[in-house]
Amino acid sequence: MTEAFRPPVRFPRLLAKVNAFLLVAALLMAGFAGIVAHKQGWFVHQTMIRVITPDALGISTGMPVKLFGFTVGSVREMQLVPGGVDVQLGIMTEHMARIPKGSRARFARESGVIGASVIEIIPGRPILGELVEGEQIEFDRSRGISEIVEDFRRQAAPAFAELKSALSQVNRSGEDLSVILAALRAETEQLPATHKAMRQFIRNADRAATDFSRQAGAALESAQRASESIERATPLLAGKLATTLDSVDGAVGQLRQTAAEAQETLRSVRPMIDRSESTMRDASEVFSAAKRVWPLSDAFKDAPDATLPIDSFEARGAPGPGRQ
Amino acid sequence: MTLLRSAAAAAPLCAACSTPPSAPLPPVGARGADANARAAALVRAGDYAGAARRYEEALALARSVEDLDGIAANAINLSVVYQWMGREGSARDALKIVLDDPKRSFPERRRLQAELRRAILELAARDRAAAAEWTARAERRCERLACELAPALLNVKSQLALEGGETAEAARFAQAAADAARSRGDRAEQANSLRNAGRARLAAGEPAAARTALEQALAIDHALADPRKIHADLVELARASAAAGDRDAARGYLERAQTVSHAARDPRGLEEMEVQLRLR
Repeated sequence: MTEAFRPPVRFPRLLAKVNAFLLVAALLMAGFAGIVAHKQGWFVHQTMIRVITPDALGISTGMPVKLFGFTVGSVREMQLVPGGVDVQLGIMTEHMARIPKGSRARFARESGVIGASVIEIIPGRPILGELVEGEQIEFDRSRGISEIVEDFRRQAAPAFAELKSALSQVNRSGEDLSVILAALRAETEQLPATHKAMRQFIRNADRAATDFSRQAGAALESAQRASESIERATPLLAGKLATTLDSVDGAVGQLRQTAAEAQETLRSVRPMIDRSESTMRDASEVFSAAKRVWPLSDAFKDAPDATLPIDSFEARGAPGPGRQ
Repeated sequence: MTLLRSAAAAAPLCAACSTPPSAPLPPVGARGADANARAAALVRAGDYAGAARRYEEALALARSVEDLDGIAANAINLSVVYQWMGREGSARDALKIVLDDPKRSFPERRRLQAELRRAILELAARDRAAAAEWTARAERRCERLACELAPALLNVKSQLALEGGETAEAARFAQAAADAARSRGDRAEQANSLRNAGRARLAAGEPAAARTALEQALAIDHALADPRKIHADLVELARASAAAGDRDAARGYLERAQTVSHAARDPRGLEEMEVQLRLR
């Protein structure tokens, strides 16, 4: 008896293999979906609380809700209601114990003025009891940059007023210093004239000493001619005259040295005066520039006087501008 | 974040100053300031009657809250505007609010302003005795002539001396006023002092020196763009030129004065008429 014919099978047990592949794929997809759902918190029980804000600018669904910087939920839903926008916050139930009644929510940014927007929960006092599902809490809008700057400006204005007062005192001191410098400069300007007069005096003293020396020599010669014997007898007188001449010469030398020192002093003082003037000018420019820079410019605005100018011209009895 | 850090750094500075933040103006104060600002705008626009009404309103508001500085300031402003309107009696009455009330402690600065205004009013009315008395009072309050109104005070004294025929004294006071005005940067009073100096020189028989001073006054008044003062300078220059024998120049100055007067719609001054009569 011949064996029954069996057609050749190219892929034996193909159906079982396909079924196994599909099963593994379905299991993988289910596992992935489960992981995603877990990450999304679908398996965590959440309690819904509400806030009403007159302005929902910057708030969006899915925005994290944070408590002490820790994410405890997210914005679930938003809808328009009379008086503003009703924002539903989904809070993980396990954290609800930390959010008692009287808690407040506010719009904030994680890194100050810029950064991701979040809803921050500011817990109330625990003695008020826990919040329940669907309960509403108060919502505070955070301040904008302009409000922060304005507040800072308001707070800083008195400080700038004090600074202005201090600077005006410095300015007044500067005026005194400039008066002193002006006086010093006037005195310094007179120094060359003094120096010139001193040199003239030295020249005169030189000439006088020379004349005196010449006259003394002539007198000595005549004395020699008149009485050589007496001259011989009085050598002490000649010695004294020579000493006197030496003294006069010394005095003249001293005067020359004094004049040179005065000139040197003048030369060394002048750069200092120039530097002082330059410093004063620089300081004045710095003050002027600082006064023009915001926010100092506001503080330095002179308060206008409420009175009309008192003009002595009116005493002439001239017709006033309003008379017809 | 940077802003917050800057604010945090500035906070100790603010705390160190320990000055409370300036309180906003109360409603009445704000209304008074508003009325005052509107009055100043009306003065600039030349509506003196409207300005007087606004100053009266501001005065009433200041009185309602016993704001002594505001009362005095508005009374002085009223006296100025009333004088411009030719209501000298009302101007005096306005000043009496400050001058005839010793019980209320008005600021010294306001009392000084009121006394000087009264001296100006009396001098304008040719009452030299009263003007001298009020000037002396103001001078006592302006210690060693170091106050802000010293140039105006010295100019009033110069005019008083000139009215009394004391030309040397008038020139001396005018020179002191010019120095004080220059050091304070008060150009209006500097021009007034130069005009007074010119008048004093002219009265002393020095027309050339008078013309120099008056030309300087005219240059400043051109810069200040006050037609009344330009007119006064030109009339004085015409007098000085006439006294120097330069009739053509005098006639030229007079024609310019007439043009200024007509353009400003001011009545021609009696002094100008007098000079014209002398020139003919």
